[in-house]
This record gives sequence, structure tokens and C-alpha cells, in this order.
Amino acid sequence: MKWLRENLWRHGVAIFAVLFAAFPLYLVVVTSFASSGSLQLTSFIPNEISFVNYEKLFNDPTIPFMTWMWNSLIVAGSVAILSVIIGAASAFAFSRLKFKGKKLGLQTLLLIQMFPAILAIAAVYLIMEGIGNFAPEFGLGTQSGLILVYLGGAMGVNIWLLKGFVDSIPIEIDEAAKIDGASEMQTYWQIFIPLASPVLAVVTLLSFIGTFNEYILARLFLVDMDIRTVAVGLQQFVAGQYSENWGAFAAGSIIASVPIVLIFLSLQRYIVSGLAGGAVKG
Amino acid sequence: MKSKKIVGLAITLGLAASSLLGALPASANDKVITVWADESRGPNLLKTLGSVESQKGGEWVAGYKVKVVAFSSFDALKTAVDNVTKDGPDIIVGANDWVATGAQNGKLAPYTPSASVRRNFNPNNWFDLTYKGKIYGVPVDVNNVAMLVNTKLTGKRPATLGEMVDYYLKNKTSKGLKAGLCVAGGGMSWGAHSVLSALGGGAYPIRNAVVDTRQNPVPAAVATNIQNLFLDSKGASNGFFPASDTGCKDNFLAGKVPYAIIGNWEWKDYADKGFSMNNLMAVPGVRKGTFGAAFGSVSGAMLTSFAEKNGNDAAAKSLLSNFFASEKGQVAYQKFEQRPPANKAAAAKSSAAQKGFGGAAATASVPQIGAILNGSSGNPSYWDALPSFWNDVLVKKVAPGTAVAKLNEVFKKNIVAGMKTL
Amino acid sequence: MKLFTGNKLAVTAKIIFVSISLALLGLLAQSAFASGEGLIAGFIALSMLALALVYFTKISIPMKFFLPGILFLIAFVVLPILYTLVMSGFQFKTGNYVDKPQALERIVADSYVPDDSGLTFDVIVGETAQGEPALLATDYMAGEYFLSTEDSLTPLDESQVTIDPDLGIAVETDGFTRLDPDTLAAQGEALAQLKFAGPGEYFLALEGFEVAIPLKPGLVYDEATDSFTQAQTGAKYVDNGRGNYANIEDPEDKLSPGWRSPIWLENYVSLVTDPKVREPFIGVFIWTMVFSILTVITQFSLGLLVALALDKPLRGRRFYRIIIILPYAVPSIMSILIWGGMFDTEFGAINALLGTKIAWFLDPNFARAAVIIVNLWLGFPYFYLISNGALQAIPAELSEAARIDGASNRQIFWQITLPLLLRILTPLLIASFAFNFNNFNLIFLLTGGGPRNDLDGEIAGATDILISYTYKIAFGSQVQDLGLASAISVVIFILVAAISLYGIRRSKVLEEFI
Repeated sequence: MKWLRENLWRHGVAIFAVLFAAFPLYLVVVTSFASSGSLQLTSFIPNEISFVNYEKLFNDPTIPFMTWMWNSLIVAGSVAILSVIIGAASAFAFSRLKFKGKKLGLQTLLLIQMFPAILAIAAVYLIMEGIGNFAPEFGLGTQSGLILVYLGGAMGVNIWLLKGFVDSIPIEIDEAAKIDGASEMQTYWQIFIPLASPVLAVVTLLSFIGTFNEYILARLFLVDMDIRTVAVGLQQFVAGQYSENWGAFAAGSIIASVPIVLIFLSLQRYIVSGLAGGAVKG
Repeated sequence: MKSKKIVGLAITLGLAASSLLGALPASANDKVITVWADESRGPNLLKTLGSVESQKGGEWVAGYKVKVVAFSSFDALKTAVDNVTKDGPDIIVGANDWVATGAQNGKLAPYTPSASVRRNFNPNNWFDLTYKGKIYGVPVDVNNVAMLVNTKLTGKRPATLGEMVDYYLKNKTSKGLKAGLCVAGGGMSWGAHSVLSALGGGAYPIRNAVVDTRQNPVPAAVATNIQNLFLDSKGASNGFFPASDTGCKDNFLAGKVPYAIIGNWEWKDYADKGFSMNNLMAVPGVRKGTFGAAFGSVSGAMLTSFAEKNGNDAAAKSLLSNFFASEKGQVAYQKFEQRPPANKAAAAKSSAAQKGFGGAAATASVPQIGAILNGSSGNPSYWDALPSFWNDVLVKKVAPGTAVAKLNEVFKKNIVAGMKTL
Repeated sequence: MKLFTGNKLAVTAKIIFVSISLALLGLLAQSAFASGEGLIAGFIALSMLALALVYFTKISIPMKFFLPGILFLIAFVVLPILYTLVMSGFQFKTGNYVDKPQALERIVADSYVPDDSGLTFDVIVGETAQGEPALLATDYMAGEYFLSTEDSLTPLDESQVTIDPDLGIAVETDGFTRLDPDTLAAQGEALAQLKFAGPGEYFLALEGFEVAIPLKPGLVYDEATDSFTQAQTGAKYVDNGRGNYANIEDPEDKLSPGWRSPIWLENYVSLVTDPKVREPFIGVFIWTMVFSILTVITQFSLGLLVALALDKPLRGRRFYRIIIILPYAVPSIMSILIWGGMFDTEFGAINALLGTKIAWFLDPNFARAAVIIVNLWLGFPYFYLISNGALQAIPAELSEAARIDGASNRQIFWQITLPLLLRILTPLLIASFAFNFNNFNLIFLLTGGGPRNDLDGEIAGATDILISYTYKIAFGSQVQDLGLASAISVVIFILVAAISLYGIRRSKVLEEFI
């Protein structure tokens, strides 16, 4: 009886959440194994298991899916790592250093996030076209150019997120270091970075997922088939005006999700503690 | 710690240096005409013309290679063309509805087809690529929709809209039908024009191949027909015609919908599932022998104003005549494209399905006049108004009379405004 | 003993690193300048100056940490925002899209008019015996032939030319050498600029390498007065100050294309005075606020509830957790599209499950509900994860002490756990609010902003949030008005900034955080 009272609601809530979370994904799986190429919306029980969609992704020369995966990994990976490296320094300064305009700086950063930046597409396009004129390796149609743009965009979010996490690392440690004669730079590299590494890993992952999903800019920048990212490649299956290939889309999405799910699961404990650390002020 | 830092530094510097080396300009020996195309035409063009590396040059224009850039969506192509200032393409391939905006924005440049190119096409096709009296490209293929009948269900092709409704109401429960007629291709505005037309209305009345400004585009009779055919006694939809196009294709393919309006760019999806393309037809009207007119438009290969800046103006025009508009070019392109070619000689060699669509279009079709359809300032476009109309009468239970009167007003305003710019 | 090592090495490394970066940037600035990208070159040069100042002097220690981030932020976020700000003062819409030099170039290029009858000639490009460029032209319809150079037109009769039997056009004549393909490719574009002698008042110009058309001047540009004169009618077109050359007699008669031109505050004024702009704007703003707040509340509530349920060791907890975080791991572009299909009226899984026939995306309130539900699905796993973390971080002694004092579980939750959690999580809740305020992907992919009743003259859809509404104005299918869209962006920004700053002042937690 006591068990029921204690645990029944817990299982109830969990089962509800599991069903809610899994239902659309279940439809994706069913769709990916259907040969019709259309979205299986009402067939709750799969009526066939076909691998044509998966075969298409791996065998169709016009769909270099594995190249797209690789591209996504490179782009999202570089952005995540570089933006956290750059962002961590700023977050450290916001969190630990005392200086004039700190409050103003943080508020500005928050407000910049709220600017409806969709029109910036036009400006970014102009800038990148200009860069392409003298450094084609970083211009339109290149992954490195896109990475630069993403880095700019990721900065605000990551600094804001990281600052929250960094605040949680007890300040006493670096104060002790200061007494021992460490400069700010030394405190940063030799005390702060090692302490903050779980947090940095978590923000890197969040940043990775965010970049992985972006396609509005990516589809403008990465036009050539073999430099596209997965998000661009996938949206073309269904967001076109003339055709909807849900089967390939579903199969592709499942494969694209696998690395993220694996990272999530293997780092689960780490992530939870990292998030907890971030959320809790010391 | 130190050594790690130094390694990091070395890698960063190495990357930066290599990127600088890569930044050296490529050799400018090959003369290349650049074509940007959307996700639907682009890959087919790429297959037809081959990559730049695989061309020896001069296949279509002496001394030139053709570089096809296939965008992943029409939106991406449009945004790129809108924003590009210097490195634009010489030619854009896509739906013709972009002509007006492109011309107004100075992104497209006029092209005058020679007499021999001109007569290879239906005059309507040129009209689709004209803005304010100037032609901006050449017709490549024809876009249209037709109604496909699942004769395995119905046994025969219907003669009137009423016959289709009767079949649906009789067999709804016994055959588990999800809808009677639905739009699988072209959406609730472009694709659904034939339904509005079958009911007795249209975007603009056409008489003797010109827009008749005196008649009502959507007369009151449409309201009566909707009441009789699409609604039940309480004014709610009887389920025959859904107000949205989602899921139509799936359910038609699954045999849950007897009639569907399908696009000519994806007929193979239906043929592959065993549907005979001989059962393509125009949507039957309310009275026997009348039919709903579908839009017929063309894909265009459009000349851009960048061609001149790129120093490719004459070459791009040659490519338009020699490849995009020529019989030989269109036949080559047809190996990969499902839409029928616009070139008359090439069309004569097209497949049964393409002829099916052509037949439906021959029965009843209406030219797609962007200047009217796109709306005037402050007045909704045809594209936005028609879906709202279906929603009003089929979902919100707005009295058909009221909705029809509103739609008529919107269309009338657009006709008046549009005729001024033609 | 020195605790902190490697000072000298680090300084050396820093100097080398910064110097090399500066050198590379210098190279880039130089080549940018050389290719005429003055603004970019200037920006790089300023960045170099800032880098040198910050890293080689002790001017500001915090700047040493900030500078790289700030430079990226300025280049790809702040500058585009400033661009938006500038554009909001422009008439910048369909028809007035390019800049004035480009528009002028376009009008001049199109200023010659072809013959009304659509007369064209099939031509062979070549040169005369004297080496002058020449066209051997065939009027296919009339069966006439002639040779045209820049100076003269020589009619030829059929006996003087060799006719290609397949094409039916003249390909050879005496004293005319056809250009071989390579020469044609090399010189063709230059030849296409030439005006060959043509019939009557017309000159001939190449339209491609195989066709020539007769043209005559239509519009004549006068640089001194910056005006066009119509050659036939004599009508004069001058810069009307609003981005077009307009007929002096009839201001509505404008030359196309126009260009973007400054109209200062007009876009902002129309936000206040034009009911067609103002009303949808207010409606969309309210829904955007409601949407973002409801999203944060629902995501947080469900996330917290699940975190509370799974806070104790429970059979199957690992399994639950794996499934629950899946929505977070799957690319959201995919899940949003799938949800879009699931909400369909006739064929969707939701109606099939509920046994209803709700037109989810066609009714404003149902559409809004659908948007919130989908966003809940997308976001609750994140809040589950952070709540879970935060719960573990709350010292157990607190609730135990309360329990000893006789507090019930419910009291402990509402009076101790929840206030503590809120305190801990407020910054993340604010960040989530900011994210959802501009959650373009969700709205764009799920409802496209709809439903919108165009017949009733609605301009914004029921689920349009400010960013999707702005996108529609700027890049929509009909008339695209980037100027107005920019103005709206700026106003949104001011409103949000005001609300947020007020909120920060009021909220103690945030004040502390910042």
C-alpha cells in the first residue's frame, strides 16, 4: 500500500511523459520502414518493414548522406568547440572580474538575443559576399564562412549560459589563487578551466545540437550537394514545393539523431551534473 | 599544459595559413555560364548537362561550359537571388511566378527570342514569362495538375461533380473513404483552382483568350453549388472536399480517396503504385460536359541582369535559345524531368502520362496571370484568398453566399489592379 | 615555491600568437582593400588595432577575455542589427530593391527598344576582308539577306550567299569570314556590345551569338540633370526622391526598376498611422508575449513534474530517462514537420487518436494550442534535465528539517523546494523566454503563422509571432517590404528591451545574477 502511494504517481507521470515523448518518434520509425515514401500518420501498427528508404540514403549517388553527416559533424563540431573556447573567456570575465560596465555588458548581451534577427540574413549575405571577394575560402558557399557566421551568433547565447554555470564554481578557489600571486590569466588557465571542464562539455553539447539543427542560413551558404549539412539535406526531402519524400526524410532523421542520442546517453550523468552545477549558484 | 597549448596554436596557424593559400584566385581560362535552379529542376538539369568538370566545353554554346547550381529549395534560391549583389548567376531556372518580382527588382533582364524560337511555343507560354511587355526568359516545361481517378474504386470516370459526390456519400462508410476529392499536388490555391472553376468560379473570367473585366469572377451560383455538393443540411462540410491538402497523396495511394488532383511533376509516384495515367482528366463541372480549368504555367529559364555584369550576356542568351528553348535541349532534359516539355516538337515525343496531363489541360485550362493573381497593395492575393475561402465555407461554416461574395470582391479588385500593369 | 608556473613561456607564446594573428589579419585587410571591400578592410584594421592595444598593453584586463568574442559578435550580430536599423529608414521593397547605381545601370541597359513586330535576324558572326566585325544576317520570314558592319548595311540577294540547307540561313558570302568557335567565345561579348548598321532608324545588336535584333533608342539618359528623356514621346523622367525616375507630367508613371532610397521615419510613422500595419502588429505582439510565457511555464511545469517523479530510485528509471530525452536529441526540424502532419484534420494521428475532427490549423485557438503542445514536447526534456540537476543540488537537510517541524510533503514542495528551484533556475527561464520569443523555426515549419483569414483582410496569422510576421513582410510571396520589416524589428527590439530591463530591475534574482 505504501509502495503504491509512494510510487504509483511517479510511474504514472513517467509513463505519460514517455508516451508523449515517444509517440511522434514512433510514427517516424514506422514511416522510415514504409516503402510508400509518404508520412504514415494513421497506421499505428506498421503494415510492412521495408529498407528502401535506408538503402536510398546509402546507395543513391544523388544523395551523399554520409557526406552530409560528416559535414554536419565538422560544422557543428567546430562551432561548438570554438564558441565555447571564446565564450568561456568572456563568461569568466563576467563572472569573476570586477570592472566598469559589467552590468551593462550583460544586459546588452541579453537584449541582443532578443533582437528579431531574421532580417540579418540580408546583411550577413552582403558581408559574406564581400568576404568571398578577397578570401573565397571564407565566402559564400563555404563551410568555413558559415562557421564564422555561426560563431558570431552563438556567442551571445553561450556567454549567457556559461556565465550561469561559471557562477556556480566557488569563488573562494580563485581568491585563494590570487592570494598566492596568480594573475587573472593564470587563474583562468590553471584554475578555472580545469574546474569548469564538465560545464564546458555540456555547453559544447548544447551548442552542437543548436548548430546541427540550423538550416535557414545553411541552405543559403551550402548550396553544392557535397558540402550540405544534414539539416539542409533533410529539409529538401520535404520542404520542397513539388515533392515530399517522407520515407527518406524519416530514415535520415533517425540516422542523424543516433550520434546525438549516443553522446547524450554516454554522457548522461555528466550532463545532469553539469546542468545542475550550472543551475546552482555556489 | 604548455605543450598542449603550443600544439593548439600550431593547428590554428596551420589552418589559417592553408586557408590563405586556398584563397588564391582560380584560373579564369574556362568561360562558364552559371545557372541557378531550384530543388526540382536543378538536379535534373545537372544530370542533363553534367558537372562543369565533365564537360569539354562548347556542347551548347561554342567555347562555353555550363555550371548548374542546384539549390536545396525554392526559398533558398529566391533569398540568394534577392540578396546577391555581385556574384549572381547568368540564368535562373524555376517557376515562372518569379518573373514579375524579378523584373521589378532589376534582377532579371529582358530577352528577345528570335522568330524561330518563338514559334516553337504556344503563345500562352511566352505570356507567362512577360512583364510589362518584355519577355524575361524561355519556357522550359509545363506545370499543371489533373484529376486522377481511382477506377479500381469507382469503376468509371465521372461525368459531373455531382456524380463524384454521390459516389462518395454512398461508399463513405462501406469503403472507409477519408474524402471524395482532395488536392494532392499544387496546394489549396494553385492546385485547387480547377475545383473552384468546376463549381462555376475562377480567378478571372476569360472570354476569347482575354480577361473579361465585366463579369463576376466568382458568381453567386458557386455558393449554391457548394451548398448542394460540399455541405450537409446543417451547413457543415459533408467531408467530400477537405480544406487542406495534407495527407491527400498518402490516402489516395492507399485507396481511401477516389479522386485526387495531382501534379505533373510527380506522376511517377502514382504510376509506380499501379495507377493508370489513362485515368487522368480535368475535374468535371456541375453540368455534364463542363470542366474545371486548372492553371497551366511554365517553368522558365530566365535571363538575369548579372549576365551582363559577368560578361556573359550574349553567351547566356545563346544558351537560352540553343539549349533551354530548343527541341534538342528539351528532349535531352526530358530524360530526367517528369513535366512535359513546353517546346511543341519536343512535346510530341512525350510519354503517356504527359499526354494525359496535356489532354486535361486541353479540355480546360486557364493562363496564369501573375499580375492579377499576386494581388495589389492592401488586397489579398489569389494565393492567400482561396485557401481562406475553403476554410470559411468548409470549416468555419460561414454561409457560402457570404464567403462567395467576399471572394468575388477580392478577385475583382485584383483584376482591376492587375489589368493596369499588363 | 612558485605555485603558478610558466609565466615567461606563456607570455612568449602569447606574443607569438598575437603577432601572427595580426600579420594574417593584416594580409586579409590588404587583400580586402585591394578588391574594393573598403568597409570590411576597415573593420579588420580596427580589429587589429584593438587586438594590439589589448594584448600588448595593460589597458584593460577584462578586455583580454572579451575581445575575441566581442569581435565576432560585432561582425556577425551587431553589424547586421545596425544594417537593419539603417534599412528601417529606407523605402526598401519590391520594385525598390537594388541601389541607385544598379537601378540606373539596369534602366540604361534596357533603354533600347526592339521593333514592335518582333522582327529578328538569324546571323553568322564574322569579319570582312578588312578585318571589321560583320554580321551575315538572314530575315527568315522575308527571305532577305544582308551583310552588316558598324558603318554600313549591304543587301545581298540569294545568289550572293551560300545557304545552309538544314537551317535555311545564309552562312557564307564573298569577303566574309566566319569566326571560328574559339574566337567567337573570346570576342563574342565585346561584339555583343557593338551597334551594327540596321534597317531604317534601327541598329542591329546581337541577342546571343546566333540572333540579332533591330533596336532603337527608347530612353536617353542625361548625366548632367540625372534624368531620362523618352526618345519618341519626349516625356522627361526625373529622380522623384523616393527611389524612382518618374514622369514630370505624371508622377505615377515610373521607370522600372527603382532603387532603395531614404524616407527617414516614414516606415515608423506608418506603424502608428496606418491601421493595416498597426493592428496586426499589436495583435502579433500580444500573442508573442503569451506564446513565450506560456511556453516557458508549460515546459518548466512538465519538466519539473517529471523530474520530481523520477527524483527517487525507481524501477525503470533509466529507461524512462532515455525515452524522455529523445525529443531533445532528434533534429527539431524533423519533429516539427512530423507534428505538423499529425495535427491534420482528416488524416492526422491526433484526431484519429481522440476520435475528433478538429481542424487544428484552421481555427485560431486550436492552432495556438497545437503550437504550445508541440513546443512543450520539444522543450520539456531540457527542463526535466535542468530541474533534475537543480533538485539534486538542493541540500536534503532543508526538507528534512521541515519534515521534523511537521510540514507535509506538499508544504515542503510549495514553500521550500519550488521557491529555491525558481531562484536557481530564473536565469535559464529568462534565456528560454528570449529563445522562444524568436522561435522562428517552430512557427515557420508548423503553421507558417496561420491560420489567417485573408478574406477578412487579416494580414498576420493567428499563430504568427513577431519574427515570423517580420519574415513574411520582408521575404513573403507578394510585395516584400524590407524597410517596413526592419522598422518593425527595431520597434520590437525597443519594446522587448524596455520590458526586459524593467523586469530585471524588479527581479531580485536577476539583479543579483547580472
